Amino acid sequence: MHHAFKLEDNEQPMALSRSAHGYRLHLEDRVLPVNLHPEDDGSAILTVNGVSERVTVATHGDDVFIHCRGRNWHLRYAHPLERLAAALRGSEEDVLRAPMPGSIVRLEVAAGDAVSAGQTLLVMESMKMETTLAAPRDGTVAEIHFAIAQSFDRDAVLLTLEPNE
Amino acid sequence: MSTSPGQWPFDTVLIANRGEIALRVIRTVHALGLRAAVVFHAADRGSPAVTTADAAVEITGETPVAAYLDGDQIIEAAKQTSAGAIHPGYGFLSENADFARAVEAAGIAFVGPKPEQIELMGDKVRARGFVEKSGFPVAPSAIEDDNPDDFVERAHAVGAPLLIKPSAGGGGKGMRIVRDLAVLETEIATARSEGQRYFGDGRLYAERFVENPRHIEVQVLGDAHGNVVHVFERECSVQRRFQKIVEESPAPALSQAEREQISETAAGIARAIGYRGAGTVEFIYGKGEFFFLEMNTRLQVEHPVTEEVTGIDLVAQQLAIAAGDKLDLEQAAITTKGHAIELRIYAEDPAAGYLPTTGPILRLIPPTGEHVRWDGGVVEGGAVTAAFDPMIAKLIVWGEDREQAIARARRALEATVLLGCQTNTAFLRALMDHPDFVAGEIHTGYLDAHPEVAESQPPDTATVERLLAAAALSVRPIRDVVDSTPTLHAAIGAWSN
Repeated sequence: MHHAFKLEDNEQPMALSRSAHGYRLHLEDRVLPVNLHPEDDGSAILTVNGVSERVTVATHGDDVFIHCRGRNWHLRYAHPLERLAAALRGSEEDVLRAPMPGSIVRLEVAAGDAVSAGQTLLVMESMKMETTLAAPRDGTVAEIHFAIAQSFDRDAVLLTLEPNE
Repeated sequence: MSTSPGQWPFDTVLIANRGEIALRVIRTVHALGLRAAVVFHAADRGSPAVTTADAAVEITGETPVAAYLDGDQIIEAAKQTSAGAIHPGYGFLSENADFARAVEAAGIAFVGPKPEQIELMGDKVRARGFVEKSGFPVAPSAIEDDNPDDFVERAHAVGAPLLIKPSAGGGGKGMRIVRDLAVLETEIATARSEGQRYFGDGRLYAERFVENPRHIEVQVLGDAHGNVVHVFERECSVQRRFQKIVEESPAPALSQAEREQISETAAGIARAIGYRGAGTVEFIYGKGEFFFLEMNTRLQVEHPVTEEVTGIDLVAQQLAIAAGDKLDLEQAAITTKGHAIELRIYAEDPAAGYLPTTGPILRLIPPTGEHVRWDGGVVEGGAVTAAFDPMIAKLIVWGEDREQAIARARRALEATVLLGCQTNTAFLRALMDHPDFVAGEIHTGYLDAHPEVAESQPPDTATVERLLAAAALSVRPIRDVVDSTPTLHAAIGAWSN
């Protein structure tokens, strides 16, 4: 079965299978023997193609956080069905999502306003800091989903644009 | 310190703060054999500061921040815990003269300066005037009074480039650089309305802007008996959005003669005030000249670099001063050794304009090793929330020289395991490699001049392979599919060797 992980905005397709000695990682053009052996201290020994190194992994739902080679990385499991659904749902450019939890402190537009890409739509506040959010494309504001001072979570849809013809 | 064990006028210190600084103060309070009490908002229940303190009192507020700003509840908490002193940490109430006054009126020692000293230095206009009158160098400037038209004229006379700031400001909010005097009037109008919005005070001041300025600040200590010493300087070398990220001591920019000159100037200013407590006198330095910028009448976030090069515990000094002791430090005996660097670990995305991020702390393994200090405020199982500042921890490293300190910083950043929310550790690691940083060619506009440092470095093929392998072997949906069907595999022969 084919899977994918999102790593720094790039979708990385892969598949995993069992082998006699562990697992095999199937990438586009190669197959690598892999294994992950948990250690008592919470870290793990990762072996790829015969080379072992220490990593620390933590998962939270579909999010995978890995400390590997001196850096902390974030990967997100992309569910096959959700990827399909997202492809049918239309453009991500129609929505303005919250990059972090917070609340709206200022609205620069109203529903029905024509906006151009890069134009400031609203100002939100989080962690005692203001952040300006801009239009992802040219279009017309369809709806603003939160009122000033109402709080929201990360990824909440703050504003939608009319779908493009 | 002249206060010996058992001779303190108070046996409990209430810490009116949270997170990293609350923990850091608790550490010294305990080391001195005293009890530590903290106040906490429900958002911090179970946080390391709360579980490390000897007593904790819950405070409430419309928002978590509002709770920590409520002086009445904090003084009440001090009474409930029989605390004879209140340490405000930094931020929140540390530079609030009304709070300091209310604490002392309640018969509790305020670990900080006298209220009137907070007021004098908190008003940038008055502070500048005082320093100038005392004969110390300030940058050419114009101060707004009741006549805004006249202010425009005088600001014009200072000449470009020019920096306009709200008098009541802080943290870089509402600051504007004017390079072309033709737009001076519009910029002043904008700065005034921003100052009004952020601080409820539209008054401004304008001063000569030093291009590529370096930010040098000097740690001072004064006791209630008129004794003042300086504890040498720090350089806040790299900033983003006027907020510091890297601090070091000694300042790479200064010669030994300049270090002594700037440090003695700072001590002179503190002496002129009759300053009590720990404070920091900030200077702008450029082209061999330095000008007084402002004085922070509190302990600062970057105080550990001073502690690492001098061996002086600044919080212990603060507490002894609050206890009424005479400073037991002789200026001539204060020396520095080696080089210390502090890096602020923020929950933020440097590649996206340093946008703050939030998330759970799933795994946290701070770096260890010789001369590596981790002043953290969160533990595994905690979370970075949108309620407070995004600073997670401070990493402080010391080396025999700057080169060794940088090398230790690199290693410590690579060893820092912090999983669950995005942080700036990879960015700081890239910064430690940047040729200009390594060469000490740093100034407050450094990151604007080098945006490439903030760009995220894509992983190489070998790393991507490793990340995918580790992720695939850890995520349930994949493991379940792969591990639950060996008989099926065997039956169809598809995966057999």
